[in-house]
Order: sequence, then C-alpha cells, then structure tokens
Amino acid sequence: MSNADATQSVTERLTDRDTLYRIGLYAVMYGLAVVFFVPYWRMFQLSVTPIAVLSQGGFNWIPPEITFAVWQRYLIEEPIIYQWAFNTLTIASITTAIVLLVDSMIAFSITRLEWPGRGLILGIIMASFMIPGYVNIIPLYTLINDLGLMNSYWAIILPFAAGPLGVFLLVQFFRDIPEELEEAARLDGFSSLRIYARIILPLSTPILTALGLFVFIWSWNQFLWPLIVLNDDALYTLPVGVVTLRDVNALAPNVIMTSLALASLPLFIVFLLFQDKLISSVQMQAGTG
Amino acid sequence: MSNVEATTDNRTASRWEQLFDRSTRELLVGLLFAAPYLVLFSVFLLYPLLKGLYMSLHEWNFLEPSKSTYVGLENYARLLEDPAFWNALWNTLEFVGMTVPLIVGVSLVLALGLNKELKGSRLLQFVYFSPYVLTVSVVGIVWAQMFAQGGVGTQYFGWLFSGSPLNSKFWAMPVIVVTTVWWQAGFYFAVLLAARQNVPERLYEAARLDGAGPWRMFRDITLPHMKNALLFVVIASTIFQFQVFGQPYLMTKGGPVGNTETLVYYLYELGFQTRELGFGAAVGYTLLLILVGVSVLNYVLVGGNDE
Repeated sequence: MSNADATQSVTERLTDRDTLYRIGLYAVMYGLAVVFFVPYWRMFQLSVTPIAVLSQGGFNWIPPEITFAVWQRYLIEEPIIYQWAFNTLTIASITTAIVLLVDSMIAFSITRLEWPGRGLILGIIMASFMIPGYVNIIPLYTLINDLGLMNSYWAIILPFAAGPLGVFLLVQFFRDIPEELEEAARLDGFSSLRIYARIILPLSTPILTALGLFVFIWSWNQFLWPLIVLNDDALYTLPVGVVTLRDVNALAPNVIMTSLALASLPLFIVFLLFQDKLISSVQMQAGTG
Repeated sequence: MSNVEATTDNRTASRWEQLFDRSTRELLVGLLFAAPYLVLFSVFLLYPLLKGLYMSLHEWNFLEPSKSTYVGLENYARLLEDPAFWNALWNTLEFVGMTVPLIVGVSLVLALGLNKELKGSRLLQFVYFSPYVLTVSVVGIVWAQMFAQGGVGTQYFGWLFSGSPLNSKFWAMPVIVVTTVWWQAGFYFAVLLAARQNVPERLYEAARLDGAGPWRMFRDITLPHMKNALLFVVIASTIFQFQVFGQPYLMTKGGPVGNTETLVYYLYELGFQTRELGFGAAVGYTLLLILVGVSVLNYVLVGGNDE
C-alpha cells in the first residue's frame, strides 16, 4: 500500500515537471523555427514591396502596400532567369547521371568482380576523401583551359564527377547484396554486364535515388567553380547569375530579392516533394565519418 | 526473345573464353567497369594534384606556360613571410573556431528537441532543414541585406554596432558565422536526429526507474550513444568550413581591410584576379596539407574510439 503511494506521488511529480518541460520545449522549438523563418520572410517581403516604399527607408514586417510587378517582370517579360535555370538544370542532371553511372560501375567492379589491385584502387579513392576539391582550383583551371572547355557546361560537369562519396556508399551497399542471386544468374549464362544492369542496379534503387538527389542538389548549388569558369551571361547558372543581378540592381532590393526567391524555388519544390528521401540521403553520409 | 539473347551471350562468351584464360578475363572485365571512373579520377583529380605541386615550384606564366621559371621552394618561403596569407589563415581559423561549435550546439538542440513527440514536428523539421537546399548566393545576399540599413538585424541589434556590422572590423566575422550556422545547421541536425532516434528507448526507461534526472540521462546515455555521429558532425563541418568562400565573397568582399578574407578567398584572388598562379598553387598546397593534417588527426581520434 505505502509502496503504491510512493509510486503514485513520483508519477504525479513527474507529470507536473513533464508539463512544464513540454511547454518549455514547445517554446524553444517553435521559437527557433520562427527565427529560422525570418530570412525567408524578409526575402519574400522585400520582393513584393514597391520601390517607392523601400526608398523611404524605415523598417517594417508587413509592407504598407504590395506589388508583384517585379515577379511579373522576371517571370514574363525578362526570361533571363529561365535561361539560367535551364543551364543549371542541364548541368545538374548530366552531372548526376554521370556520377550514378561511373560510381555504380566501379563499385560493382570492386565488390562483385575479382581482379588483383581492386583493394588498392578502393584505398586510393577513399584517401581522396582528404582532398577537398577547392584546394585544386588553380591547376584545375589551367587544365580546363588547356582542354579548351572554358565557358562550357563540361567545364562544370567533369571536374567534380569522380568524387569518393558515391563509391564509398555504393561499395557498402553492393557488398550486402547476397551472392546467391548473382551465382544463380551466372549459372544461367548471364554476363557481368547483365548482372550489373539487371540484378545489381534494380536492387539498389533506394541508395541510387538518395545519392542522385544529393549530387543533384550539390551540383545545382555550386558557386565558386562556375564563377571561375563561366564568363558569359547566357551560360551562367542560377547561383552565379543572381549575383550579377545584384551588382546591377544595388539600389533595388525588391529586384534582388525577387531574383533570389525565383532562383530558390526549383530546389524548394524538389525538397517539398522528396523531403524524406533527401533527409535520409543526408543521414546516409554520416556513415562516412 | 530472351532465349535468343542467352544463346548469343553464350556464343560470344565461348569465343572470349578461347582468347583469354579465366584470371585475365576477370581482370579485363573488372578494369572495363572501373575505367570510366578511373579516367575521370585521374584526369580531374590526380593530374591537377601533381600539376599543382609542379606549378607551386615555378614562377608560373599563365599565357605562356613554357616561359615559366623554376624557383624551387621560393613560393613557399614567400608564403611564410606573407602577411596576407597569415591574415587569411587566422581569419579562417577564427571562422572555423566560431562556426563549428555553434553548428554542433544548434544542431544538437534541434535534434534532441525534435526527437520528442511534438505537434507539427514535420513542419519544424522542414523549416530547420530547408536552408540546406539554398545556394550560397541566396544565403549570402539575403543575410547581407538583413544587416544593411533597414534590415531586420540592424533594426533589432543596431545598438550593438555603429553603422553596418558588415563594415565593422569586429562584427563582420560574427555576422558571417551566424549566416553560416543558419545555412548549415539543418544538414547536421538531420544527421544527429537519426543518431538520437537510434538510441534504444528502453535505456531511458531503465534509467528513469533508477531515478536518473534529464542531465544524467543526457550525459550517460544520449552522449555516449551519439558519439560517432557527433564526431562526424565535428569532422565534416570542420573540413567544410575551412573552405569557406561564398559568404565573405558576397557579404563583405573579404573586408573591412581584409578582416574576413579567408584562405580559399585568398586562393581565388591569387588565381583569378592577380594571376599569381605559381604562388597561388603553393597556397593551395599549403591549405591541402592543413586539411590532410586535420583529417589524419581525426582518423587517429576516431580510430582510437573504435577499438
């Protein structure tokens, strides 16, 4: 009896503390969400504020009047952003396709075929985790220049297509695919190419999707390298293009913010559609530490 | 149809088998599959790596590389006495030193908070994670605007700085740090959330029965179980933040008076503005050595933990 009482009061104390704790938790988490949201709101808010209001200076959270004139200008009258979006989409798509193809091929070769030296090659690829791309930009620039690739999509696509991350993830995944499937296929006279294309790849769609999403977003958002190898307005990617718009519209924050919002929309839509896939693709990488 | 295919396959296979013995065949097929990656890897990673070393030993002539002169280690000697290099190194360390702990702290708070069952947790997760899908140009320009005149940062924190904080020798770097934390924390939050969700709930139940408070549970259960994920966050964000470029380029142009000029920014200036390619290659190599050092140190630490 007294034992039950004691348990009871402990539970009550816990519940009290729990309630307070939960209120605090909600306050902190939603408070942080509001803080995280502020930059988005400011971007949108300024994009719809008339320039007349902006030039008066002063600060507000809700503009006294709003206009979608600049949105209309970039969506309909001046199609430059579409051109940049097209460039970015092309580059990101080709990069993703190449990475998925070459990474899965070499990972297949290393995990499913037996040849001397494959361990060493895997070791060298893994060691390149330590060499972040940016330290190489000067010799890479002279190489792209020598190859005559300056100012082309390929200048952006090729240099970072052979990264170690995809190989690492796919090698781990392919290793766990049971050997029996493959042995049965070999007995049926399947060639290595057919085993790769008809057995290994279809079984790996989840990881290929996750890797593909990650590479696509990474490529889409690249800034430093496109800034270096592109110097033609028509070839700019969105991240480089919007910076040039800022430089010529320094006194019109509404124009700048509209272009930034437009530039962010495509990946935001991708994120809305694939939120869980994208988050799990990020979580996958934690295995790389 | 599939029957015909199989026969063709068998026929090719047999001719192929006559030509080479089994191990040669395996080597050839293996290399064939590895070749596309290895070509890209050699041309765009290994070759520039070697060429960078070669260039760093020369006074490099961009327009006529054949007119470059060998200078031995002179570029490296110059670097050691170059105040701009030390300034960039110091600024980078300052940036990394502030950003990494903040990222770890913020992403840990977000992950631990969201691990509890909250109403609207999907929405919260969306908001925290979303900056990750933005490009640095959007992040940098929006945040620069927030700290310009009439910006929200200036409105509420203006009493801290006189004028724009991005023109202040003291405040420019902290503003860049906060910008970066907003941009990146969501990525690491996702990693830590997964790690937290993998801690077995029964451990907490047992501890609660033993009368352990939240702090003890955090210290004795949560932290040890999340150690590997936390190490990943520290290592990955350190290496990534070391290469910061976009934020200072877009927000401060490296100023005021070089106070936010980072190593990669300096590399960019040498390579693509002043065209000192040989010296720039030496700076790149030094940055590489620093980062390899960081990685090796980390491997040692992580390796020690696995045993």
